[in-house]
Amino acid sequence: MPVWKTPFNGYSVKFSPFFETQLAIATSQNFGILGNGRLHVITLPSMTEVATFETSDGMYDICWSESHESLLVAAVADGSIKLYDLSLPPDRNPIRSLKEHGREAHGVDFNTVRKDSFLSAAWDDTVKLWTVDRPASVRTFKEHAYCVYAVAWNPRHADVFASASGDCTARIWDVREPGSTMILPAHEFEILSCDWNKYDDCIIATASVDKSIKVWDVRNYRVPIATLNGHGYAVRRVKFSPHRGSVIASCSYDMTVCLWDYMVEDALIGRYDHHTEFAVGVDMSVLVEGLMASTGWDELVYVWQHGTDPRAP
Amino acid sequence: MEKAIERQRVLLHHLKPCHTSSSLENIDSSLSASVCAAGDSASYQRTSVYGDDVVIVAAYRSPLCKAKRGGLKDTYPDDLLAPVLRALIEKTNVDPSEIGDIVVGSVLAAGSQRASECRMAAFYAGFPDTVPVRTVNRQCSSGLQAVADVAASIKAGFYDIGIGAGLESMTTNPMAWEGSVNPRVKSMAQAQDCLLPMGITSENVAHRFGVSRQEQDQAAVNSHKKAAAATASGKFKDEIIPVNTKIVDPKTGDEKPVTISIDDGIRPNATVSDLAKLKPVFKKDGTTTAGNSSQVSDGAGAVLLMKRSVAMKKGLPVLGVFRTFAAVGVDPAIMGVGPAVAIPAAVKSAGLELEDIDLFEINEAFASQFVYCQKKLELDPEKINVNGGAMAIGHPLGATGARCVATLLHEMKRRGRDCRFGVVSMCIGTGMGAAAVFERGDSCDELRNARKIDVNNQLSKDAR
Repeated sequence: MPVWKTPFNGYSVKFSPFFETQLAIATSQNFGILGNGRLHVITLPSMTEVATFETSDGMYDICWSESHESLLVAAVADGSIKLYDLSLPPDRNPIRSLKEHGREAHGVDFNTVRKDSFLSAAWDDTVKLWTVDRPASVRTFKEHAYCVYAVAWNPRHADVFASASGDCTARIWDVREPGSTMILPAHEFEILSCDWNKYDDCIIATASVDKSIKVWDVRNYRVPIATLNGHGYAVRRVKFSPHRGSVIASCSYDMTVCLWDYMVEDALIGRYDHHTEFAVGVDMSVLVEGLMASTGWDELVYVWQHGTDPRAP
Repeated sequence: MEKAIERQRVLLHHLKPCHTSSSLENIDSSLSASVCAAGDSASYQRTSVYGDDVVIVAAYRSPLCKAKRGGLKDTYPDDLLAPVLRALIEKTNVDPSEIGDIVVGSVLAAGSQRASECRMAAFYAGFPDTVPVRTVNRQCSSGLQAVADVAASIKAGFYDIGIGAGLESMTTNPMAWEGSVNPRVKSMAQAQDCLLPMGITSENVAHRFGVSRQEQDQAAVNSHKKAAAATASGKFKDEIIPVNTKIVDPKTGDEKPVTISIDDGIRPNATVSDLAKLKPVFKKDGTTTAGNSSQVSDGAGAVLLMKRSVAMKKGLPVLGVFRTFAAVGVDPAIMGVGPAVAIPAAVKSAGLELEDIDLFEINEAFASQFVYCQKKLELDPEKINVNGGAMAIGHPLGATGARCVATLLHEMKRRGRDCRFGVVSMCIGTGMGAAAVFERGDSCDELRNARKIDVNNQLSKDAR
């Protein structure tokens, strides 16, 4: 598949859960430090643009709605959470701009079980729960002591989610409970990302500035099940494969995208060095097995089948 | 602005971690201004929006093998050129009939015969008869001259897509002078110097500029070490096109089909003490030996150039941009100093300064001239021939220019944005030098309204 050049620095890529041909990309000008942000939706495999929406601050993360095929949720650096409807023209978008976070919003995740709500993580140390139809957040989860970089809903339990923070902990929450249900001091350094295993609702992976990814069983969280070493710099994002229970994709400040199988001894099963700047976004398609996408600060979006060269035209 | 500094701080902590979050506040980690690795020059504000600059979308080479003894000794010159020409088409999926011209640098072979061989090679490579072919001979920089000629023709609007290539089989065509020499040369010293064997010019450079034997041998060892490391780590795999050929056993005369895919002149175990034992070849008390001179080799290289707008229309990734080319003349008796004159000329015409250049491919015709040029221009050895040079890999005269372009651009691609500008240069027999400046494909600046800044607020020095 050809590579797609974004005008700004890439921050996040997500495959649509409805159409195997749609990919959303969140980008930010000037590495997300200063300037505007843009959301692009492109079709595969031709990589032609379907829609572009511009914001007045960097866009750090994006996720697709699980209930409406044209709905997208974006985390924007000014702290706002914006909802976009692809079926409407740019001048009618965003359909909603939810401004509650006091600082940069850095992660969003849509609930895959109940499909009505989504979470946002922000640098104001909080996580907020939202529903599509409400103009204000349903709840704010404030326990972390430093920036929260990512949140991930449990794929099986509609009320359970995990958050990853720069306070060196990952926390597990149940929205029916008043506080977090578990504090995972997972790394000695900042944790930048987390994700749940799609086949085992007790397994979670965390990615850290300490260059490692750790896989945990929340029933026995004193020692990790696996520690995946191999990245040369902080690991920016982890993602469990939707098709194979033990496979994890990750991307890092070392400019590589790696694929791991935490169940086998020689865990690193693939390393892609196609990016020439920090690799910050990676995703695996739910609808096409083995199809991966990545983006980075080199302003390029790559889509490729695992095992092939991302740069191959 | 405060917000931006705060964002920088958070992101910087991802790269420079500290143990506890409580100590996060104590560190002053706002990014500070530092000298750009590539220096700073006016031409940074180049823009590609008009799409009319000349870009390189593919550059490949054959393996370089020792003449008469190496893997390509029984390969016809046209069979050497055809695979690299074919690779350009196959790897980019460009329709061969769209090529406006194929220009091949070639030095030693008889002019017309080589031109015919190149035309035949184009047919073997699958080009239709509508694509013209010509040769160019600027001695050792013929390959680079071919690339520059194609770039110039594209700029001039003669065609939009062209191939600059280089070919030399020093097995087939050893260095020789045919016929008698005009006795008139005795009347003019510089004309007579044109007849000097290259090794003598190397001795002249070493003698005149005081390059010691030790320095030369050390340069040769470094070249072998770097080339061996590059080969071992598979770096050359990106640029080398394997050649399917045959090899004839010199004793039995048996032919055997082989695929040659690596350079065979590299000696990973070369040491200064071993090289010190070699006798000077050209002068009794000289310093130039077989060990610290370039190797006599067979090889070919080819570079596909096109107008940027065409590359964009075809969706081809841009490997590099051809910025400028300069050929200069120097005293024939010390022809090796060519790069020391040509590089500043080419860099200046690109609007750059020497410190802007991140990577150099300077042909190692002889260690003496290579060391001299490096010292004369005060270049950082870490930036020159990072994957070894002609002393290790080989110097098939006409092909070297194209070979260096392929090696340079692939290395720049690997290095990413830290490596924006690169230079290819070589000295030329009979007293000349040539150099060309290349830029990484994806690092051109967006079009913007750059204004002149009156106060010096840490902007680049030429923005004042």
